[in-house]
Amino acid sequence: MSVFRGFRAILYKEFLVVLRDPFTLFLMLFPPVLEMVAFGYALETDVRRMRTALLDEDRTVESRRIVERFVNTDTFRIVERVGSAEELAAAVRKGRVYVGIDIPPGFARDLEAGRTARLQVLVDGSNSSVAGSALNTAVALALRESMERLASAAGVRELPFEVRPQILFNPAMRSPNFFVPGVIGVVLQIATTFATAMSLVRERERGTLEQLFVSPLRRWGLLLGKLVPYLLISGVMAFALFAIMSGLFDVPIAGSPWVLALATLLYLFALLVLGLLISTRAQNQMQALQFSMVFVMPSVFFSGFIFPRDTMPVVFRAIGACLPTTYFIETARGVVLRGATLADVAPHLGVLAGMGGILFVLCALRFRWKLG
Amino acid sequence: MSAGNTNAMDGPMIECAGLTRRFGKFTAVDDVTFSVGRGEIFGFLGPNGSGKSTVIRMLCALLEPSGGTARVGGFDVAREPERMKPLIGYMSQKFSLYDELTARENLSFYGRLYGFHGAALRRRFDELVALTHLAPYLDRRAALLSGGWRQRLAMACALVHEPAVLFLDEPTAGIDPVARRELWGLLFDFAARGMTLFVTTHYMDEAERCSKVGYIHLSRLIVSGLPDDLKRLPEVNPAGTRRIEVACDHATAGLRVLRGLPGVRSATAFGQSMNLLVDATVTDGAVRASLGAAGIGMVDVRPTGPTLEDVFVALTDRANGGGR
Ligand SMILES: Nc1ncnc2c1ncn2[C@@H]1O[C@H](COP(=O)(O)OP(=O)(O)OP(=O)(O)O)[C@@H](O)[C@H]1O
Ligand SMILES: [Mg+2]
Repeated sequence: MSVFRGFRAILYKEFLVVLRDPFTLFLMLFPPVLEMVAFGYALETDVRRMRTALLDEDRTVESRRIVERFVNTDTFRIVERVGSAEELAAAVRKGRVYVGIDIPPGFARDLEAGRTARLQVLVDGSNSSVAGSALNTAVALALRESMERLASAAGVRELPFEVRPQILFNPAMRSPNFFVPGVIGVVLQIATTFATAMSLVRERERGTLEQLFVSPLRRWGLLLGKLVPYLLISGVMAFALFAIMSGLFDVPIAGSPWVLALATLLYLFALLVLGLLISTRAQNQMQALQFSMVFVMPSVFFSGFIFPRDTMPVVFRAIGACLPTTYFIETARGVVLRGATLADVAPHLGVLAGMGGILFVLCALRFRWKLG
Repeated sequence: MSAGNTNAMDGPMIECAGLTRRFGKFTAVDDVTFSVGRGEIFGFLGPNGSGKSTVIRMLCALLEPSGGTARVGGFDVAREPERMKPLIGYMSQKFSLYDELTARENLSFYGRLYGFHGAALRRRFDELVALTHLAPYLDRRAALLSGGWRQRLAMACALVHEPAVLFLDEPTAGIDPVARRELWGLLFDFAARGMTLFVTTHYMDEAERCSKVGYIHLSRLIVSGLPDDLKRLPEVNPAGTRRIEVACDHATAGLRVLRGLPGVRSATAFGQSMNLLVDATVTDGAVRASLGAAGIGMVDVRPTGPTLEDVFVALTDRANGGGR
């Protein structure tokens, strides 16, 4: 117990400090939740029920049927019917709709006569994911329509070829399912690394660290006393974030919540220790902030949170391999989306635990029990 | 107040030899040597930036010395800091406290840090509160305490474990005169019970109360010793001179007159009187006559000894390379 001397006193004080100021606690807990909700919605790249304007100059049974097929894909939603091509273009240009469908006169006649029946789809290309999705859906729809017609003309009952994809995980292919675990990883990183880095640097700035240095407190006692309260707080925060994930974003946890909890705990430990390590270098809060950002930015870009790591240049992939966030996101996605078991994610957990352990030792070695 | 387990039964409680600290190329403390015996109050004086806090930090094992040695309570601060630390209490220049905690919580935190629990903690807590009269302010947040009460709280925290040696870095800076006197009352009590005190200050009246003083100037310790010994130093009392105190009804005008009088080496005003260092050839009559010629009355001249300020001024002048 002697290497941890002073641990309980520090613990007592940290809890008092944290609880004393509910506003600070709120400031620590609330932004991550907000970030999570904002990130989660902002990253909703699924395109469904796009606002669509319709110009039906044909006004036949055939034209209405094809519009219905468009709507049935769930990609398009007719919100406006216009009377001219100019109005249609204007609706897209002004941003009232993303897509304009123009069925020219003679559409049904051409179809009947076996000529190529044309219809025009205007797509707002300024939003690339919307444009891509609209385009794909429209082309696929046209192809299928054509095939069916050709087949029935040839007296073929069934199409000769069909792919039946079965999406195993995340069957609805919703992007929140993919992104939200990553958002949780990044959001936790921002809040925790910062919290411990600040808490020690504040003591340095205020001069209380000097006071601790002359006491019988040992470095392990101090470091652990700083870690434990923040581990608890950020644990609660992580719990809230996962609750939001499954409640608000409708992303169920396919695997064991306990495995997820274990991964989160290891991840938080590594992050908090990283914060302590930063505080051994940073002389003031500004520096602590800057150092923390140095770690947060790569975690956003190289952890696989947004961009898949497989397609990254090897340098970026290597950077990603050094970040705890990478392993947490992998694990969280595995457990949440694919129902991965403890055995499946054990290698990742091992890396997280190793990182936390190494950082902690590094921290204790780096943490000079002196000033200057 | 018990005085811990020291390694120095009879030797000095604080002892440094050639103590030096450099920050890069700058030498903040240069070859400082002195010692302080048990139960002494050592007053450490010097201008801003002269290195007082740096010396204290080295003695508390907060800073590594760049050279020389220091022992506190018989333990080498560089080699045995963990054995030395339980003996010392340290109150930093900033009265560092946890602002978001109340006075009670601050004190009780330091109590726990030093291993007090339960009934023992409560007993020690009550003793310290009684000693520092903190009772009415216990539930106030440290951030909201005024300077004097912050200082008392910081001192109570530094005293939790009944240290044998207490380091106080400018404990009376920004403190009102009454609180200052009360603090010194406490310090005398502690010293009487065997505690060794190391106090930095800018106040000469506080220096006069110390059993031993040291003066540091531009990183070098210019002098250390008993105040009375220092006042008898030949540098302070040059041969063929004497010190007189002159009271009159117009001290500022009198100062101007006397500074012009041949044989007056220095003259300093203290309220309605002046302290002069004059050549022995300057008689009381000559002083009276020159003041009278300037229309200044109610003149009273009497011989006096040097103050500590005179000592420090004389020695600083010499260290800077000769008198005025
Ligand atoms: N950590 C440090 N790094 C660099 N320089 C330092 C450091 N600490 C102190 N100094 C310098 O050393 C010199 C002595 O500082 P110190 O704080 O010991 O002076 P002091 O006598 O206590 O002054 P004051 O009366 O203003 O408290 C100053 O010039 C200061 O700038
Ligand atoms: Mg100082």
